[in-house]
Amino acid sequence: MSGRTGLDRYRREQRLGDALESPYVVHLVLFLAVLFIVAPLVWELLTSLKTNDAVYNFNYFPRNPTLESYYIALFERGYWRAVVNSIIISSASTVVVMLLGVPAGYAFSRYRFPFDNLVFVFILFTRLFPPIGLVVPYYRIMTEFGLLNTKLGIVIANVYLWLPLVVYIMRNFFITIPHDLDEAALVDGCTKIQAFRHVILPVVMPGIAAGTILTFLYSWREFLFAFTVSTDLNSMTIPVSTFLFVGDTSVQWASMAAAAVVATIPSALVVFFFQRYIVVGLTGGLKG
Amino acid sequence: MSEAYRRVPETRYGRLKRLISEFANDHIRLVLLGPALVSLVVIFIYPVAFLVWSSMQRTLAFGATAEFAPTANYEAMLSDPTFWNAAEKTLTYSFGSFVVTMLSGLIIALALNNVVRKRLRDTYTTLILLSWAVPLSIVGVTWRWMFNGQLGVVNKLLRDLGLLSGNFSWLANPETAMAVVIMADAWSRIPFATIIILAGLQSIPQETYDAAKVDGATTFQTFRHVTLPYLRPSFFVAGLITWMFAFRAFAIPFSTTGGGPAGATEVLAIYIHRFGIELFDYGFASAVSMFLVGVTLIVAGIYVNVILEQLSEIEA
Repeated sequence: MSGRTGLDRYRREQRLGDALESPYVVHLVLFLAVLFIVAPLVWELLTSLKTNDAVYNFNYFPRNPTLESYYIALFERGYWRAVVNSIIISSASTVVVMLLGVPAGYAFSRYRFPFDNLVFVFILFTRLFPPIGLVVPYYRIMTEFGLLNTKLGIVIANVYLWLPLVVYIMRNFFITIPHDLDEAALVDGCTKIQAFRHVILPVVMPGIAAGTILTFLYSWREFLFAFTVSTDLNSMTIPVSTFLFVGDTSVQWASMAAAAVVATIPSALVVFFFQRYIVVGLTGGLKG
Repeated sequence: MSEAYRRVPETRYGRLKRLISEFANDHIRLVLLGPALVSLVVIFIYPVAFLVWSSMQRTLAFGATAEFAPTANYEAMLSDPTFWNAAEKTLTYSFGSFVVTMLSGLIIALALNNVVRKRLRDTYTTLILLSWAVPLSIVGVTWRWMFNGQLGVVNKLLRDLGLLSGNFSWLANPETAMAVVIMADAWSRIPFATIIILAGLQSIPQETYDAAKVDGATTFQTFRHVTLPYLRPSFFVAGLITWMFAFRAFAIPFSTTGGGPAGATEVLAIYIHRFGIELFDYGFASAVSMFLVGVTLIVAGIYVNVILEQLSEIEA
């Protein structure tokens, strides 16, 4: 008797399990997830195509799609300069971080030196240190050195924020490359630097791509330090200038949405073209 | 070989180049690692030292002067009810975001893992990654706009569906304001959790699943006895990172509500920013920062241990 009900329960469970794994359920779940992720972005896009007054008409779709809000955000308020600043700051940060981080990652993957494990743990802790804790010291140090309201100040903060991450990721990439390759290069008469530059670096290019893309995106997204260091049109980034709409007595919602769309487009493009590298980078290079 | 190399007459430039290259070869660790470590000392250790020092200075007269008082700021902090309010909000915020992010991440990752065609799976992954790539302040202003009391699309949708008559001020009500910032935070964090959990799922050998199937295990039994044990490490890492990063979150709550209404969403990060940057009370803000750093470092210690174990397993 009990064996029979046990079997029934087993079959019921099996049917339910199969149903949950069926393509319909899987795609329904993913459809809902994508809807949740994409809907807010679509709403920003639709809002940005209205005028600042049309927002009060309560339509889902813009009646007369116009780029007026973009014009107000980018030219009347001059935020096109913030876009340029963002591009300069993110690119410069990425170059500096990669130039410093890639050799360091290689050193951790190949060489022993005094306290090497301790230094590596220090790098991990630096990565996990809460940046909000350093905002007040950074603000005061930047004031002291005249770096407030400069692009250089934001780049320095970005190097602090993303260098440890890149060292960690690059180390994991270099680890996957056999030491024999270095040794073969040395036997063939390369110096250690040449072996690194001409033999190992080309092999680890996917890792370098992942590190570069991740650093660029993180620098582009960054708000806390960019906001603390600069709210001046000469040096502020586009995420900061978009936020500044909020401080107005009557918020120009459509123009704010336009600025938000402009700030999001580069990120979205990078995701569309380099999804694979981002996934590899986010998993810390551990997936190879 | 080196003999022939040395006999070539050297120009001054060539000699310099050779000396540099020889130096680099002899001090390879210094050359590779030096610049990065020196940079980190200047842009990380120095500010950290500055933080510790300034947490022991009592700030007088709008940050203009300060006097040494090692425990004054900490005492002021611990006896300040607004600090405890911020600490409580931070816990609600970070655990709320943690629960929503990890549950959604797990469900989405399981679904993604069941998509057979790689092309389709990549398309889904790309779309889901979008919210992670959005600049953090844009996340905030977007949710602020959607949940706006008079003009927000959420109110309009609810009205059109007949679920709401009139308007509801989501961000003016303490409970719903907190719920909205938590959802905004989770929205931006779900992709990361999904990716890490998915990587964990994909590392489970297919044979294990096949064996379970042959033995007649149901989907639930397979999940319970095969998937979960394998998934534990990556789920743990994703969860720890999610919680730790939500605990320190600034940009999203700050740009969604600015900490309001009346401190209902004022997490510690906003609290530090308010005292340190807006009110120039450097000493007090530094003490609160030290508290936040301390909590984070304890959790970070656990994380680093797990990561080091994982690394040594992979490299073994």
